[in-house]
Amino acid sequence: MASQQTAEPRAGGALRRAVDGPASEVIGLAARLGLAVVWGWAGMAKISDPAEAAQAVRAYEILPESLVKPVGWGLPFLELALALLLLLGLGTRIVAGISAVLLLTFIAGISSAWARGISIDCGCFGGGGTVDASKTEYAQEILRDTGFLLLAAWLFLRPRTKYSLDAWLAA
Amino acid sequence: MSEKNREGKRTARERMMAERAAQEAKDKRTKKLVVGGVVVAVVAAAAVTGVVVQNQRSKPETPVAAPTGAIGDKSLVIPSGAADAPSTLTVYEDPRCPACGMYERTFSPTIDQLEDQGKLQVNYHVVSFIDRSLGGTGSKHGANALACAQDAGHFRDYHDVLYRNQPDETSDAFGDKQVLLDLAKQVPGLSTPVFEACVNDSKYGGWVSAVQQDFDKSSYKSTPTVLLNGTPIYPKKGDEQISPENLAKWVDEANAGKQPGSTGSHGQSPAPTSTASEPNTPPTAP
Repeated sequence: MASQQTAEPRAGGALRRAVDGPASEVIGLAARLGLAVVWGWAGMAKISDPAEAAQAVRAYEILPESLVKPVGWGLPFLELALALLLLLGLGTRIVAGISAVLLLTFIAGISSAWARGISIDCGCFGGGGTVDASKTEYAQEILRDTGFLLLAAWLFLRPRTKYSLDAWLAA
Repeated sequence: MSEKNREGKRTARERMMAERAAQEAKDKRTKKLVVGGVVVAVVAAAAVTGVVVQNQRSKPETPVAAPTGAIGDKSLVIPSGAADAPSTLTVYEDPRCPACGMYERTFSPTIDQLEDQGKLQVNYHVVSFIDRSLGGTGSKHGANALACAQDAGHFRDYHDVLYRNQPDETSDAFGDKQVLLDLAKQVPGLSTPVFEACVNDSKYGGWVSAVQQDFDKSSYKSTPTVLLNGTPIYPKKGDEQISPENLAKWVDEANAGKQPGSTGSHGQSPAPTSTASEPNTPPTAP
């Protein structure tokens, strides 16, 4: 940012205003609601069939069988809780932190599957399990999760957002 | 004196202000801690709730009810052909899987013949995982209807009819129970009120889920998975490509020196002759 400022002071000033000024709370609101939709969608899609959710976890061949079901069953509800908290804007920094940790875990899991040469769907938004080798989309899945990670990172660094319970409590 | 007094007042005011600031900072910290605690508690409670709720919702791995004559320690397998046949063909297939349809259209005449000659018993694992990746209920409803046909003693014929009339993988035609009931009319004697009720009520839904969960836990990842006496033979047995001729040859080789099983013991109508099925499109890359 500093280098940008010396090269193009006006653009840098605009950037600074966006990051620190009142506009940042609007950007924060968009990031918060965006991430809420992501978690809400991801959670809902994994709830209907418990066996499917368990299989999506099992297909990574990382967790022992005893943990497959607890993770497959608990994770979607955890995601929904994050969605709800983001929607309310309660504890935004902590929620963003948990989101980031979760997304990093997912990216690590997908990368690991890719590196080991197994063919699975990430099961990020329902589905999951083994797929034909020609139907794997590891790069897209990692890219997508990285995008979500950026939202979480923004909210972690700038947790103050418009129309949030946090702001109401602080007032 | 007055000077001193004024100074003392100022320090008192300053002290008060500093105390108030400290108190406010403390309140803020407390508030933050409370919010943080609430957030962590909500997230943890949600995860625990999920495990409990889904545990209650999930269908047991050992089914409560299984179709008549199902075998295996959890009654997850539908046998076809003589129980005392010297060879066993184990087949994992999904009603919606196109490669399974291709396999069935190519091999079912040969397989039916081998069964009728008492050479082979087929153990069907009717799995239903295509619904997961493509959405819909065609795999599950199709599998349930097959279990209903097993109850009625017409599994093999209905199974052959379903695969001959399989829709495109992306179409969920089998998700429509009426389609399944209409196809049953092609099997003489199958279309009864009992069968219709069994299909419409998804009577074996729990069994279908148990069969799939068993497949999930197996080391097999795709369908069709075909094993002859435990050895994978699809699409190849060793270096040899599977074909109707090779399948018959492999079974004869495995049965060499053994008595064929009792014939016609499955109580189902005779297999169509090898020309009765629809034209065999040669399997392209499965």
